[in-house]
Amino acid sequence: MGKKVFIPVITLSILAIILSGCAGGGATGKLQFHANGEDFVRQGFVSKDGWSISFDHVYITLSDITAYQTEPPYDPSLGNDIDGKVKVALDGAYTMDLAEGGEDAPPLLVAEVSDVPVGHYNAIAWKMAKAASGPSAGHSLVIIGTAEKDGQSLDFTINIDEECEYQCGEYVGDMRRGILREGGATDLEMTFHFDHIFGDGELLPGDELNLAAVGFQPFADGADAASVLNMTEMHLGHVGEGHCHCECH
Amino acid sequence: MRRSLDTGEGADMCGKWRSIIAIIGMLMLGLVLPTEAYAHGVSIEYTSNVEIEIIARYDTGTPMAGAQVAVYAPGDPSTPWLTGVCDEEGRFSFVPDTSQPGIWDVQVRLAGHGGIIHIPIGEDTTAIDGSGGFSHLQIGLMVACVVWGTVGTALYFSRRRRT
Repeated sequence: MGKKVFIPVITLSILAIILSGCAGGGATGKLQFHANGEDFVRQGFVSKDGWSISFDHVYITLSDITAYQTEPPYDPSLGNDIDGKVKVALDGAYTMDLAEGGEDAPPLLVAEVSDVPVGHYNAIAWKMAKAASGPSAGHSLVIIGTAEKDGQSLDFTINIDEECEYQCGEYVGDMRRGILREGGATDLEMTFHFDHIFGDGELLPGDELNLAAVGFQPFADGADAASVLNMTEMHLGHVGEGHCHCECH
Repeated sequence: MRRSLDTGEGADMCGKWRSIIAIIGMLMLGLVLPTEAYAHGVSIEYTSNVEIEIIARYDTGTPMAGAQVAVYAPGDPSTPWLTGVCDEEGRFSFVPDTSQPGIWDVQVRLAGHGGIIHIPIGEDTTAIDGSGGFSHLQIGLMVACVVWGTVGTALYFSRRRRT
């Protein structure tokens, strides 16, 4: 009788110890989300068609921001939805001014979340959505600045109403991001390449980027964004230099 | 005449256990004796230096000539294990450390564009030739299985006779 009781008791005890280690708890850290218009926005640049552009404000509204740990790593070129084993999602929408802070400003902190599971956050998704209120109410992206060319100076406001969904893989840049260890912190960055819209005067006219960009001249001529821009083709959203799958409507 | 039931069955049981212990003893002897006396095992090992070559191109097919490359090993995904530059054809080669099996990440960047590729790298293997050498662990496991099977069988039959 002793043996019949002893073995099941030992087995159940071992199971209890294992399960108590698995249930709840787990290593955690802090995850930050940043938005970055890069030096193109903070310092200005020359468009593909020779306009010297400086930006006073670039209001962008971001929602449904979600970071993922994916295995295998998410490939945005396939155009599938991100399927992550771990997800960290931000509630609500955030309107950021990508020109805020001056020429040497760091990327903008959108939000941070504490006590998230450790691991490698190697994918991120977000929407560029119409703002419900604030300086860009009713628009998903508002670009306010000054363009100069051949002695001419033009103050402009470009309102974009297309809403876009971005699904992106791992951040590509000088350093790897998204690797979170216990008690530590890491960040992910939503990067916006405005040279894709206006082109880059420092590149050759035949460069692939300039061929795809619309430049500034259409806006100088009075065109509105809806008639000039196809935001899906602009591929505005990136993760550093890494690409995203983009759908706009 | 009254039989002493305990003495008869007890002697029987002792004899059975002696047999079992003797069998176990002989089998255990096999563990400590030099295996070379019983099996001429041969162990052949090899290592393959796998060279990985990546070819980086833009979507248009244009090679990413001069692109910066950073290779990350599985053990330390934060620190580049190796850095370099693609050649004129967008090619870059390296020999990963196969003592670090797992997913190796290779990041390529040029002129504001970049990407990462994830490459699985396996472990070195130990090849065993046709004459069949086994490791000490394998031998120990096989002997233990035989011993356990023998003990179990002997106990089974001893219980059957008793009933």
